[in-house]
Amino acid sequence: MKVTGTLVNYYFHCKRQCWLHANKINLEDNSEDVRIGKILHELRAEGNKNSEIAIESIKIDKLTPDYLIEHKKSDANIEAAKWQTLFYLKILKDKGIERKGKIQFDEKNKQEKTIIYVDLTEDIEKRLQELEQEIIDYCSSATPSPAILDKKCKRCAYYDYCYI
Amino acid sequence: MMGRSTKYLMSMGELKRKDHSLVFRNDKGNTYIPIEGIKEIYCLNEVSLNTKLFQFLSKAGVTVHFFDYHHQYCGTFYPKEQLVSGKLTVMQAQAYMNKRMDIAKAIVQGIAGNIHQVLYHYYKHDRKDLKPFLDWLRKDVPVYLAKDLDSKQVLFIEGEIWRKFYTSFSSFLPADFVMNKRVRRPPDNPMNALVSLGNSILYSKTVSQIYQTHLNQTISFLHEPSESRFSLSLDLCEVFKPIIVFRTIFENVNNRKLQVEKHFERKLNYCLLNKQGKEIFLSSLEERFNSVFQHPVLKRKVSYKTAIKLDAYKLIKLIVENKPFVPFSVKELK
Repeated sequence: MKVTGTLVNYYFHCKRQCWLHANKINLEDNSEDVRIGKILHELRAEGNKNSEIAIESIKIDKLTPDYLIEHKKSDANIEAAKWQTLFYLKILKDKGIERKGKIQFDEKNKQEKTIIYVDLTEDIEKRLQELEQEIIDYCSSATPSPAILDKKCKRCAYYDYCYI
Repeated sequence: MMGRSTKYLMSMGELKRKDHSLVFRNDKGNTYIPIEGIKEIYCLNEVSLNTKLFQFLSKAGVTVHFFDYHHQYCGTFYPKEQLVSGKLTVMQAQAYMNKRMDIAKAIVQGIAGNIHQVLYHYYKHDRKDLKPFLDWLRKDVPVYLAKDLDSKQVLFIEGEIWRKFYTSFSSFLPADFVMNKRVRRPPDNPMNALVSLGNSILYSKTVSQIYQTHLNQTISFLHEPSESRFSLSLDLCEVFKPIIVFRTIFENVNNRKLQVEKHFERKLNYCLLNKQGKEIFLSSLEERFNSVFQHPVLKRKVSYKTAIKLDAYKLIKLIVENKPFVPFSVKELK
C-alpha cells in the first residue's frame, strides 16, 4: 500500500479512521464537514491553474517558490495537519524540490493564528521514515483498534459505524 | 441524510435532465425535481427515460427502481459503485463461509422479536387470542434457533413465523382485509396487494441503503446468494417488514384510511390498489421511513430509513471486527 497525506493526518487524528480509510471503508461522503471542505477546495481552485498538484500518491494544495501551502477548514487538529504537511515536504525533498511548509486555517477555534509554519529537520525526517512503516504495518493488521468515545467522534463521518 | 430524498413517480410521463436538475413531464405539465438531496426515484407507472438522464443520475449516485403494471418490482438502475472495498468483499465472502448460520439466525430472531412487538399492541388492546402465538414467538422460536441448523431449516422456521403471523390478522383486522394465504404474482386480494407493494418498496429502499455502504449486494446469509438478485437486500429488509410495512398497513386499514370498495381495483384473477389507494399507502409508508426515534446507542435522532443503513453497518462490523450482529429491534427503543 501507498501512504498518503490523508492517512498521515488520520493516523494522528484517529488510528481507527486511518485503518478504515486505508482499507477503503471510507465513509466521508456522507459528512457535511467533508462536503464543506471540498467546496472550499473547489472555490480556491477556481481561476488558479496550478492550484492542485499531484505527485505520486500525494496531492498538494498549492506550491509557491518558497512554500508548500496546505489549506485546512479548521484548526481542530494542528498536530495532524503539521505531520501531513511535513510528510509532503519530505516527498518533495526526495524529488529534489525543497520548500518550507505553510498551513492556512479557514477557521481558528483553538488558537489565535490562522497560519503556521513548519520545516523539515534531520530528526523529523527520521521520524517520518519510521512513521511511514508504522502506518503500513498498522493498516495491514487484521482489524482496527476499538472505538474509544471522544469529543471529536461526534462530528466524525465514521461516528455511526464506530458506535453502532 | 434526513428529509425527502425519495421521489415517487405515479403517473405516466417522461423524466428528463434539464440543465443541472430533473424535470418530470406529464399531461399536467412540468414538475421540477431538484437533484440535490435526491437519493432514489421510484417509477410506478410508464415512465420514459434516456441515456443522458442515466449519465446524470449516475454522477449524482441516484438509484432508480422500476415497477410493472401489477406493482411488481422489475429492477433497479444501479449507478456505478462509489464505495468499493476489495478487502471488505473478501471478508464478506469469508463470513458467508464461516458465520452464515449465525447471521441467518440473528435475522430470523429479529423478525420474531419485531412481530412480537407489533402484535403485543393488539394483545394489550384486548385481542387475547393472540397469546398462544405471542408465547410461541417469545419462548419457542429462540429454542428452535439455538439448535444446530442448516440454512433450509432456518428458512423453514422463518416461513413458519410469517405463516402464523398472516393467520393472526383475523384477530385484529376487519374481515375484508384478512389474508388467508400469501399470494404473490399477482396478488389475489386487498391484503396481498398491500403486502406485495409494501415489501417491494422496502426491498428497493434497502438496496438504496446498502448502496451507500461497502457491502456486496449479492453475498447474502439467510437467503441463498444468487446472481440475478440483490439477495443481501432480502436479508436486511426482513426485520423491518413488521415495523415499517405491516404497521403502516394495519394503521391504514384499522383507521379506515384504506377501504376495499374505494381504493382497490379487482379483476378476475388479481387485485391491485387503484391510483388513490396507491397514493395514500405510499405516502404513509414514506412518512414512516422518515419518522425518527431517539437512538439508544448513538444518542441522537435517527430515521427508520437510516436504521436500515445502520443494520448494514452492523453487518460490516461483524465482518471486519467480529462484533455479534443483532439486527434492529423495536424493543431496544423502549
